[in-house]
Amino acid sequence: MNAQTTGRFAWKSHIGFIVTVVGLAALPFIMAVMEGLPVGSLLANDSSTAKFLQGLLVEVFILAVFAISYDLVLGVTGLLSFGHGMFFAFGSYLTGVLLKTFGWPLWAVLVGAVVAGLFNALLFAVVLPRVKGITFALVTLGIASVFDILIRTQELNPYTGSDVGLQGIPRPDFLNPVDDRLRFYYVTLAFAILVYLIYKRFVDSPTGRVCVATRENENRALTIGFNTFYFKLAALMVAGITASLAGMFNTLYKPLVSPEIAGLGFTVEGLLMLLIGGIGTLSGAMIGAAILRLMEYYLSRWFGESSAFILGAIYVLIVMFLPYGIVGTWRLRRLDIAAGRQRLLSMFTGRQRETPDEGKL
Amino acid sequence: MSNILEVRNIHTYISQFHILEGVDVEVPKGGIVALLGRNGAGKTTTLKTIMGLTPPRSGEIIFDQEPVQGRPSYEIASLGIGFVPENRGIFRDLSVLENLKIAERKKGDLDRKSDFIFELFPDLQRLIKLPGTHLSGGQQQMLAVARALVPDNRLLLIDEPSEGLAPVIIEAMMEAIRRLSSETTVLLVEQNFIVASQLAQHYVIIEEGRSVQAGLMADLVHDKATIQRYLGAA
Repeated sequence: MNAQTTGRFAWKSHIGFIVTVVGLAALPFIMAVMEGLPVGSLLANDSSTAKFLQGLLVEVFILAVFAISYDLVLGVTGLLSFGHGMFFAFGSYLTGVLLKTFGWPLWAVLVGAVVAGLFNALLFAVVLPRVKGITFALVTLGIASVFDILIRTQELNPYTGSDVGLQGIPRPDFLNPVDDRLRFYYVTLAFAILVYLIYKRFVDSPTGRVCVATRENENRALTIGFNTFYFKLAALMVAGITASLAGMFNTLYKPLVSPEIAGLGFTVEGLLMLLIGGIGTLSGAMIGAAILRLMEYYLSRWFGESSAFILGAIYVLIVMFLPYGIVGTWRLRRLDIAAGRQRLLSMFTGRQRETPDEGKL
Repeated sequence: MSNILEVRNIHTYISQFHILEGVDVEVPKGGIVALLGRNGAGKTTTLKTIMGLTPPRSGEIIFDQEPVQGRPSYEIASLGIGFVPENRGIFRDLSVLENLKIAERKKGDLDRKSDFIFELFPDLQRLIKLPGTHLSGGQQQMLAVARALVPDNRLLLIDEPSEGLAPVIIEAMMEAIRRLSSETTVLLVEQNFIVASQLAQHYVIIEEGRSVQAGLMADLVHDKATIQRYLGAA
């Protein structure tokens, strides 16, 4: 395989990603043109359907980061965590408290969110060597429930807003989605892309491969010579930081932080995103988040209260017909199609050809 | 000849069940030792106990003059013991190349060993980019053994390498194990006595969790009574 072939192959394999990024970058302008608005109106932040849709996509980007972080923990590393929503909620609440109560600048809030993500990861890691599987799920659910109870307590009402949630959070001038929605759109889009690229790099790295091996069979990974605890910890830390930052953007975007995001329901929503897109696929998690959020919005707009029923039916259909999620099923089919094509080729040519890179290390 | 591994009177429990009730195994440096015994005798548990997956409650495991009992599996592996588990212990979601790469203990291990590995298992070179899910049973078994060859292991524990394989693949696997034993000492668990007797120079028979007999394989093949009594084959 020469360098030229490698370059062409790499370009081909990234074409979907490049088209998606370019498409999402151009989307605000395309939406404005479709609505008959001049570009100046878009830049001036005038109210329009295009601006509303930008907001919807901002929510998608934030949820996509939350979903991909859950995928790293559950889908890639195989840690059955039922408390992942806490990572997001902690970042979200911390951002609200630091901006509203303590008046911290944005950069300091960002550092705070990173530290919070690490803290949460270490909290889960404390139980890692002792519990596995469903027990780990229950312990993480327990930790998240304690956080949920804490933010709802009356004693913390001045900070967290208790059951009502945190309201009236001041937004920094640089990143105010009300005054400059387009800037917020591009910042969250860049954040989602950056997170995806970092995750892809992480999963394809030797550390990421050990995480996959640990998910498949931890004993095998141990007998090869890996202390799997450190690899699970690494995955939790990366996921903790990114979910916490996603929570930070959630607070910056929305006018209030609802305690709903700290409950089990939000983690289950993340799980649904993974099931729709494909567990352990990374891109599937982000696609699942987009489909879930857009479906929720449009179904509720078109069908009102019956939308929950339709949404449930769609979940059932996806699980029945796409058991590995959209991306997972597509990847499997693609492999089967490639194998079939090679079998056909070898029938006619008599040549055994398993992959385009056979025999190369 | 000095022993690379000495297992002395180990007792292993799985939950409340007393599985190994006194197993002794001596593995001299170089060559192949076969652990023989009927199904459920405790052969696989002996290998898992050596690897630290089911740690012993009592007894000693000495690897190259160093006691290893009670140490975590990853530390035992890092000392230079490779483990090829039964049921083709490969990572099915990783490609053949990734399965081999992951076993590197030092950067460049695979590059150094690739000629030897692909000479033993030429099929793997052809399938290098395929995921584990797309390999046949024989190819998965070859990959499992090849993976254990990537780092500089001084001892290989191989569990039932011929299980569920077609006769022609068993032949290839036997040849590979015979050749790799010139580089590394092998402790082999093998249900198929014909396979074991053609490969190993020494044997240990395990019966109901106890090692009951050990010696030279050349002597055992003529001892029909022992074979019949402990292995059910004549």
